[in-house]
Amino acid sequence: MNALELRDVRRGYEGERDVLCGVSLDVKPGEVVALLGRNGAGKTTLLRVTMGLLRPAGGTVRVFGLDPRRDPVEVKRRIGYVSQEQILPGDLSIDAVFEIHRQLFPTWDRALESQLCRRFEMPLATRLDTLSVGQARQVALVCAIAHRPELLLLDEPAGGLDPAARREIIEAAISLLSEHGTAIVFSSHQMADVERIAGRIALLHGGRITLDDDLDALRESYSLAVIPAEGTNRAAIEGAEGCVRLRRRASVWHALFAHTPSQTRDILRTRLGGAEVTCRAITLEDLFVEMVEDPS
Amino acid sequence: MKFPFHVIPGDELPIYRQLMRQVVEGVAGGHLAPDDQLPSQREVAEALVISPLTVKKAYDELEREGYIRTSRGQGTFVSAAPPALAEREKRERVRATAQRLVREAFLVGLSLAKVQALVEEEDAALRKERRSMTDGPSKRRQA
Repeated sequence: MNALELRDVRRGYEGERDVLCGVSLDVKPGEVVALLGRNGAGKTTLLRVTMGLLRPAGGTVRVFGLDPRRDPVEVKRRIGYVSQEQILPGDLSIDAVFEIHRQLFPTWDRALESQLCRRFEMPLATRLDTLSVGQARQVALVCAIAHRPELLLLDEPAGGLDPAARREIIEAAISLLSEHGTAIVFSSHQMADVERIAGRIALLHGGRITLDDDLDALRESYSLAVIPAEGTNRAAIEGAEGCVRLRRRASVWHALFAHTPSQTRDILRTRLGGAEVTCRAITLEDLFVEMVEDPS
Repeated sequence: MKFPFHVIPGDELPIYRQLMRQVVEGVAGGHLAPDDQLPSQREVAEALVISPLTVKKAYDELEREGYIRTSRGQGTFVSAAPPALAEREKRERVRATAQRLVREAFLVGLSLAKVQALVEEEDAALRKERRSMTDGPSKRRQA
């Protein structure tokens, strides 16, 4: 059974255009999926719909086969969620917040809790509203994983953190992965983090998933061709086999191809004749930019 | 035990390919000898802060290609006889580097003869490095 199954999920906010216009996504147990997309693309909305915090306007959401709006308690027991903003009560101490969670979750693991507290050197008696952003995120992370969820949702886990704090969060996620094979869906703008932990990426753009593939496969089967604009017509490139995106950058075309650099070179050589074409493997950051920038 | 791995973020190669290349190059350069033990997948994942699945993928591929072997309960080791590649495969493996080399040489205006001299220099340096590795410290003292 899939850890998560979204089918044609739609959701908007009152008076605005739909943020999600038919999103489908499957996540298998143990899979780590990075949710990419520009600011406002709907990543947070998608995670909140999955948690059952927002009702989808259409389509279905299933978490281990359950509907989070129908079985909120069971679903929340099997999911861990770290939101971007601080949602825990600020006037409580860290330990008091943990105590509430210990009582809420039958599977809460005290040993894991203390292990994480030691790792993060957590000041247990301190009130939440006096913590730094990094510390607050760490508390939220302990709350999200100490009940040993089977699916972990992280909304920009690194947002607003310095590199050291970011690394600590990633390290904790990795220990969780190697010990329990928890499925993880996380949104992030940090491509280096995405490369470190994701097995798959899903790109949310224009309300839909426009790219959903194994990360290594994407890196190895896509390439970027740079072609001088002068003397090359747009249709000739666009019509080439495997051309996914084409956009104009100053005096050159950037063409994204679903082929290796040498295959792309061969295709373009045949099609464009003598034009000076350079083809190279694509980094994740370039891939992201090519996919979400306006093609103008 | 040796730890031959590091991660180059933003590299052209996906991380599992980087790890694979480091083992293959370690064997070729003599830094890794047959039967050297490699760290466990989990150690690599935690030390480099990368997904254990990425490390598993690299180890699986290296094992499939015959560079390493895993004995249940004992760990992972460099193969006693690392694989010999077919001539065509060897050429394909080096071709990408050769392409980059000739392009860069063209850009800075270095002649082919000078590029060849440079390659020979590097080859001599590698051979010297390999000799000092295999001779071991006792022989080096005598010299």
